[in-house]
Amino acid sequence: MIAFTTVFTAYFRQFIRDKGALFFTFIFPIIFILLFGWAFRNPGAQTFTVGLVDQGLPQSAAIMTQGLDSVVIDANQKVFEIQTGTMDDLLPLLKKGDLAAIIVIPENMDSAINQGQPINIQVYYDPSQTSNQQILIPILNQVINGINQYLQGTSPLIGMEEKSVQSHNLRYIDYLVPGVLGMSLMFSGVYVGLPIIQQRQARIIKRLGSTPLPRSMLVLGDLALRMILVLLTAALIILVGRLAFDVQMVGNWWELCGIVILGTLVFTSLGYLMAAFVKTEQAAIPILNVITMPMMFLSGTFFEVSSMPSFIEPVVKILPLTYLNDGLRQIMVAGTPSHSMTTDIAIMAGWAVICLAVTIRFFRWD
Amino acid sequence: MNSKTETVIEVSALVKTYGNVKAVNQISFDVIRGEVFGMLGPNGAGKTTTVEIIEGLRTADSGTVKVLGMDVSKQTRAIKERIGVQSQDPALFPTLKVDEIVNFFRSLYKKSIPASKVIELVALQESRNVLFNALSGGQQQRLSVALAFINDPDIVFLDEPTTGLDPQARRAMWEVIEAFRGTGKTVFLTTHYMEEAERLCDRVAIMDHGQIIALDSPQRMIEKYIKESAIQFKMTNYPGEEVLTNLTSVTKAIKEEDDIILYTNNIPAAISALLDLASANSSELSELFIRQATLEDVFLKLTGKRIRD
Repeated sequence: MIAFTTVFTAYFRQFIRDKGALFFTFIFPIIFILLFGWAFRNPGAQTFTVGLVDQGLPQSAAIMTQGLDSVVIDANQKVFEIQTGTMDDLLPLLKKGDLAAIIVIPENMDSAINQGQPINIQVYYDPSQTSNQQILIPILNQVINGINQYLQGTSPLIGMEEKSVQSHNLRYIDYLVPGVLGMSLMFSGVYVGLPIIQQRQARIIKRLGSTPLPRSMLVLGDLALRMILVLLTAALIILVGRLAFDVQMVGNWWELCGIVILGTLVFTSLGYLMAAFVKTEQAAIPILNVITMPMMFLSGTFFEVSSMPSFIEPVVKILPLTYLNDGLRQIMVAGTPSHSMTTDIAIMAGWAVICLAVTIRFFRWD
Repeated sequence: MNSKTETVIEVSALVKTYGNVKAVNQISFDVIRGEVFGMLGPNGAGKTTTVEIIEGLRTADSGTVKVLGMDVSKQTRAIKERIGVQSQDPALFPTLKVDEIVNFFRSLYKKSIPASKVIELVALQESRNVLFNALSGGQQQRLSVALAFINDPDIVFLDEPTTGLDPQARRAMWEVIEAFRGTGKTVFLTTHYMEEAERLCDRVAIMDHGQIIALDSPQRMIEKYIKESAIQFKMTNYPGEEVLTNLTSVTKAIKEEDDIILYTNNIPAAISALLDLASANSSELSELFIRQATLEDVFLKLTGKRIRD
């Protein structure tokens, strides 16, 4: 225990004297949140006024209206306010920005429904409005999916309300905060490999080898420090999200701690894996960049994975940060799951086990 | 050796191979409590490997090592509690302060001496709050040596303890080592400085090509291997070792970089022959002096090399 405390204290002192580490651990994620949160702020844009061009089809219009109305923020506020009219009336309003979108029910929709034929609904919107791309279109997609299921009789119309509830009020900042947390867990974790490499290269580890200190303490002490740091980082990120942008942590705090610790384990084992193969600090820095940079941008930290080009999808699907971000988002802001929580946890645990197994096989202390 | 002698390190038939190279080839020796035992040898002779096996940092291919009566391969932890080690490069946490490093090492041992005593030992009192990477090379070296004494060890292993120290600090370090031995403890010293070995060591072992080629007290070793005196000089138009060795009364001639050394039992005859050769050859002689043989000469004679980095 003394040995553990000793190593922990030594690592802690070195950490607080390392300006770069302090910056990347605490300041960097906060800058991201403030910068992106400010750049993509959309005050009050939680409801949308949409135009509906019904072209005199009562059956289709009723279904569409019912579908849009079923998407609610809470019991007494709907997401969509519907303004009906002709295309000529509504288009100027869309261009002015009074309408978020115009939904056009095709002339033959009633008959298509009755005959069970496929038909496309046209949606006009202004893609330069970020909130449209981020929120409106996904919700409309769900509405239309819901209508389809309803029409096919596979699902009652009421079913889509549940789905919609999760994404209805997800602003970009709500999406961003868990992503930035995931990203900082990745950085904190993967960079665990660097001090080991430095100490091995500087022969500090060898020097300690001639003392009674068990080497496992070097790992345990460092791991304990990381755990404390990531929990602090998480608290800080959540606090800043809350104070600056009123991002609420809606989930269970214990679940959040669990997923944070699991994520840290995944990325620290990735860091140790790197230390098993990379011998010098000079080589480690570019390799760390190669590991972290693609993950930072491809794993849904800042942008939805679904908005990526499809050829990247296989890569995205193997990156552990994809699942950490997804899990964090589900817990923190009740984000729409890309994967089930079980999948998220299983894939992260798989990564940790594989990395640790390979590390144990190849890691050398000298 | 009288009946009171106690063996604290017992190495027998030690072998360590790296690939095809036998770094340590069947060596055996004992170290006695209370002595300063020196290990000398050119680079790559197997010194470091031998020392690291004794310290429990490496495992031998075969042979046994007992330290303080314990088997190194089995009771490694217990041995590490009772030995102190200073490694060749002063490798310590760069962003910890001297005090913090000292206390870090103190808490690794069951028994340790007070931090202030450790720091005084190598006169670093004024640098207690300085970060390791802000210390001068000599200060880093001194701290590194001091840490080897931190657990009041029975045996201390010092690897080039005075490298990078100025002459004054070197002499101070010698005093530390002698004081430690004065308390009846044992020092295992690896060094490149022959003067240091001659002054400090009770016995030295000379290692070359993985084997111990000589082991005795420095004085006896000199008497045994070199009965001659040495004439050392520089010369232009160097005629070759063979010509010089054939001069009257010269038993051996060695060229080491610019220095030429002739060993002889008859100094006037050898000098006279050398002067004749020089004038016949139009060679100019410079920096010529006559001296007693030293450990350096023994080393040169046995290994054909000077001990140097």
